[in-house]
Amino acid sequence: MRLRIGVLSIVGVAAVTAAVIGGMSVLIVRAHRAALLAQLSRGADQLCETIAGSTYYDMLENHRERLHRQILTIGRQPGIERVRLFNATGTIRFSSDEAEIGRALDKKAEACDACHAAGQPLQRLSRGQRTRIFRAADGRRMLGMIRPIHNEVRCWSAPCHVHPRGESVLGVLDVNLSLAEADRQIAGDQRQLLLLAVIAIAASSLLLWWMSRRLILRPVEALIAGTRKVAEGDLHTTIPAGARHEFGDVARAFNDMIRRLGEAQRQLTQADKLASVGRLAAGVAHEINNPLTGVLTYASFLHKRTRDQPEIARDLEVIVRETKRCRDIVRGLLDFARQTPPQRQATDLNAVVRRAVAVVMNQLVIDRVALSFELAADLRPVPADANQIQQVIMNLILNAADAVGKEGGTIRVRTREVAVPPHGHAVIRVARCPKGCDLLDPSVRIGGHPGIRISRKHDDQDAVVHLDPVYGRVNHRASAPAPQGVLATHACPQCGAGLEVPDHSCGACGGPVFAVLTENKGRVEWCSRQGCHRSRWAAMDACGPQSMAELAVEDTGHGIAEEDLDHLFEPFFTTKGHRGMGLGLAVTWGIVEGHGGSIEVQTQLGGGTRFTVRLPVAPAAAVPDAAGGEGARGAA
Amino acid sequence: MSERWDVLVVDDEPVVCEAIRMVLEHDGLEVACVADARTALAHPALADCRLAMVDVMLPGPSGLDLLHLLRRRRPDLPIVLMTGYATPAIAGSVREAGVAAFLAKPFDESELVEQVHRVLETTGVDGEEKRP
Repeated sequence: MRLRIGVLSIVGVAAVTAAVIGGMSVLIVRAHRAALLAQLSRGADQLCETIAGSTYYDMLENHRERLHRQILTIGRQPGIERVRLFNATGTIRFSSDEAEIGRALDKKAEACDACHAAGQPLQRLSRGQRTRIFRAADGRRMLGMIRPIHNEVRCWSAPCHVHPRGESVLGVLDVNLSLAEADRQIAGDQRQLLLLAVIAIAASSLLLWWMSRRLILRPVEALIAGTRKVAEGDLHTTIPAGARHEFGDVARAFNDMIRRLGEAQRQLTQADKLASVGRLAAGVAHEINNPLTGVLTYASFLHKRTRDQPEIARDLEVIVRETKRCRDIVRGLLDFARQTPPQRQATDLNAVVRRAVAVVMNQLVIDRVALSFELAADLRPVPADANQIQQVIMNLILNAADAVGKEGGTIRVRTREVAVPPHGHAVIRVARCPKGCDLLDPSVRIGGHPGIRISRKHDDQDAVVHLDPVYGRVNHRASAPAPQGVLATHACPQCGAGLEVPDHSCGACGGPVFAVLTENKGRVEWCSRQGCHRSRWAAMDACGPQSMAELAVEDTGHGIAEEDLDHLFEPFFTTKGHRGMGLGLAVTWGIVEGHGGSIEVQTQLGGGTRFTVRLPVAPAAAVPDAAGGEGARGAA
Repeated sequence: MSERWDVLVVDDEPVVCEAIRMVLEHDGLEVACVADARTALAHPALADCRLAMVDVMLPGPSGLDLLHLLRRRRPDLPIVLMTGYATPAIAGSVREAGVAAFLAKPFDESELVEQVHRVLETTGVDGEEKRP
């Protein structure tokens, strides 16, 4: 059986409260009762003395009738149950209860017990010893007080009758008072205490219930619900973390853990996707290409031999066309998985554009898309793999056509030569700490390039920062924000080596700078002051602007949503639903990167998109190799 | 009767072999088909064929191994390499050993015929000389 913490603690606290209040009540009632009885017995004692005093002469002078009347009168007073006087042998001589006069009392009777319990009468008894509590025949509780009447000179010398001189106790005065009133008071006290105890237990239980619900149960329930969601695979879940006590800490730790778990999973998924597409593509190529060869060869052979039978020829043409489509899909997969290094030759970009357009023109006419060119006549040849670049242009134009949609629109293809400064375009492709740790993190890509992962510290606050790998651009990502203007220190997240450069300072604000090392292009420096975006890459600045051939494909389509921009170049990311595999832009990005170029996208939702590809215009030998080199230009 | 062959096809995929045989025989060429490298090296066609078409992925010794062995046996023999999946390693071997043509699977009838004729024409004189 599952027990709830709240119920358990309420039961526990109620038990403790009940025990404490119960014990206290018993002590209080007992003390109260003792005080009441002491007061009553004092009163009874005084009454005894008063009776003894007022009847003294009646007894001495033997006025029996008067003594009898006095005792009757006193016995009728409220609260007094009975007054009686018995002699030394225990015979009741006078009593307010006339029926018992003359009756003899046994020495074992409760009234005689005080003196005769030990077997013989005691001469002097304390008040306590003379007091007794007993039950009357009808069951009511009584307090009895006895007062011995001692022999004295005037008793045994009086002429009336003679009490022998040798007797010490001549008789006993016994006064019985009702305890009904006292018992009522005590019972009332007990009732009050019980009520108070119940109220105290109920109040403390209620308070505890409320507190446990508010402070423990709700946070625990939220935590359980959050854990269940995570177990179901929802890594975007968070639980309320506003509380300032320990459960707030737990909630914050939980949220932080889930956030990190989500990040790790996304990175793994991304890496996994890339690995599996490679395996898948290779497997598919092996398995599918052989049967496709059979189908394609037989079908095209038959097609050639049946040209005089148009009906059959038409059907065979469909088979050949569709088989070739299968071939293209497999090749698309392979292109992506293989990422072959480009076979570069001096290439006329304008000619490649015209070839690419010729291939896709049919599709554009069907889609009622108007295509316009603005091709720079003086464009110098670029060292490029014409087939790969043609694929890039086709991909971009077909994407643009998809964006424009069936309603028709305009696509503009433009080429020109531009001088691109390193600042804002050069990509840092190797980044190391002073001890040589690789700082590039392929799992966090900024504009498609791996970010530079460093750790940042200011005022005891640590954060992981991914620096934008494009020189001069500031799309840095930080795990936590830092206030503007604060000076932070930066270190290698792997070995902890500090990245600050002591003898350099920021050209803009004069503050300290930190740096990472590149392969053979010196170091890149950033200002350590938050919000000061100055960075410096001296070796690249010295190279000056580089000539690039620029190809822009613009459409008047629906544009790209802000949240999709980050994923645009990821494999299998598609906004086309079932119509696309999500490989086009990933392949495009890979080809442009392979050429040491860059690809940039500008878009406005509903207002169209422009993709800008830049390729270096330089002899093939001078183009930095994509795999090992660095500093290739472009505005990614 | 002594058999003569123009083309030796080495591919473990029967449908590919038969397709090539059908197309090339229709074109007037004699075609011998084998499924692996060992059979190819033992086949009488190797003595006087004018062209070898070799698939890269073969059971046992690979097409690239066979390429080097054929180079030793028949340095003059033009070789057309076929594959459905070109890797950098394949490209390196191809550059090293030298092949007359590279045929990416899947190919259609005209691609096959064009490549074979181009190779036979450029090495045609040698081929004719070898024929008795």
